[in-house]
Amino acid sequence: MTVEVLGRGELADSLRRDVASDIDATVIVVGGRPDPIVTCELSDAQIDELWERPMQEVIVGLQGAHARGAKRIVVVVPTTGMSGGSHYAATAALAEAARVLVKSAARQWGADGITVNAVAVDPNAFGLDSKVSGPVSIAPRALEGSADPTAAVQWLCSSASAQVTGQTIVCDGGLWM
Amino acid sequence: MNIGSSLVDRVAIVTGAGQGVGEGIARRLAEEGARVVVAARRAETGEPVAASIRDEGGDALCIETDVSASESVRRCVEETVGRLGRLDIVVHNAFTGGIPHRLEQARIDKHWTAMSRTSVWASLFCARESYRHLVESSRRPAGEGGGRLILITSPSGVEGSANIPLYSPAKAGQRAIAKSLAREWGPDGITVNCIAPVAASPSLLTAFERNPALQQALEARTPLGRVGDITRDIGSVALFLAGDDSSYVTGQTIVCDGGSFLGL
Repeated sequence: MTVEVLGRGELADSLRRDVASDIDATVIVVGGRPDPIVTCELSDAQIDELWERPMQEVIVGLQGAHARGAKRIVVVVPTTGMSGGSHYAATAALAEAARVLVKSAARQWGADGITVNAVAVDPNAFGLDSKVSGPVSIAPRALEGSADPTAAVQWLCSSASAQVTGQTIVCDGGLWM
Repeated sequence: MNIGSSLVDRVAIVTGAGQGVGEGIARRLAEEGARVVVAARRAETGEPVAASIRDEGGDALCIETDVSASESVRRCVEETVGRLGRLDIVVHNAFTGGIPHRLEQARIDKHWTAMSRTSVWASLFCARESYRHLVESSRRPAGEGGGRLILITSPSGVEGSANIPLYSPAKAGQRAIAKSLAREWGPDGITVNCIAPVAASPSLLTAFERNPALQQALEARTPLGRVGDITRDIGSVALFLAGDDSSYVTGQTIVCDGGSFLGL
């Protein structure tokens, strides 16, 4: 059984190295490490770079996972899509769009025994600057230590999560609630 | 119509106001004294709505606008400010797309591009081109202005869609933009919110005609037992978000669907 990890950056590399499964799975790490941009200064080229092209990659990635017969699909996004982020409007749109597309895919592909879920992680894992974006939550993180999403991703990639689909596990140490 | 005064002197652009939800919002804002720009892709649809509002005592004009093209949005904003002197409220409602499909068979050009361009791209175009005018509005004395950006999304942007899967990310992206801009523009006094309506738009009514069971099913799952009216139900929520009563509400989505979706 193979786990295919799509995406770039440290988080994708880490998941590519560490996630294994007893069932064919695809993990899609959404987007890159965007710089903050004042929204009214966003150029069309930047909207294309931050929203359109990575969103099309998510769509194509999901279709590819379906085509290769993956039974578990996990989409990894920053919590910025749920919280919003000042100077990260296009990036937040991408994250939330990918997270909600997971629900649509789960609804359509459930009959084929395919589960599709999301893991939302600390925006720092995607290089987003919380000093610029604004606080994710009204309170500090509930848990101390690193918020490594590997175990959550691995569980969603496994046969043990067969009845879980269309969900988002927020794995950020209890920052976004 | 009896013209109210809660939005008197305010200038609002409503995109996609040639029919459906946009038309309902334009009419409701005009009822409260706003000078409304009916921004429609085709004057054939927009001008009759603007004329009808004027006939009823309101103040409206039509500006042909293709929200998927940044230059067209820029011209709409410039012409609005040039002719009416200010811009206080932008309601981005226009949307193209929504062809049912299977996700695994969807084509980017056929099933995605138009929805992406008219949702996320257009929301960012509207934000980009209107920002400085909305700032000016918020600098006016209390009760005389207040910049407002309202994005029309959908319950599918929260819960996904089994029939039109790529519709849901297009609408979800707009909700994230609203939250992001709420943070970014809050210091300027501009509020940014979303409405997620289910309303008797022409497209939904056509779908009901083709499939009466769809109407029965939708009404049966709706606690209030009916589909929303574009002016009285949806327009009134837009009026609240456009006016002074909502000045401390930002980054939110008001789901206006008769209680069908209760997941927030």
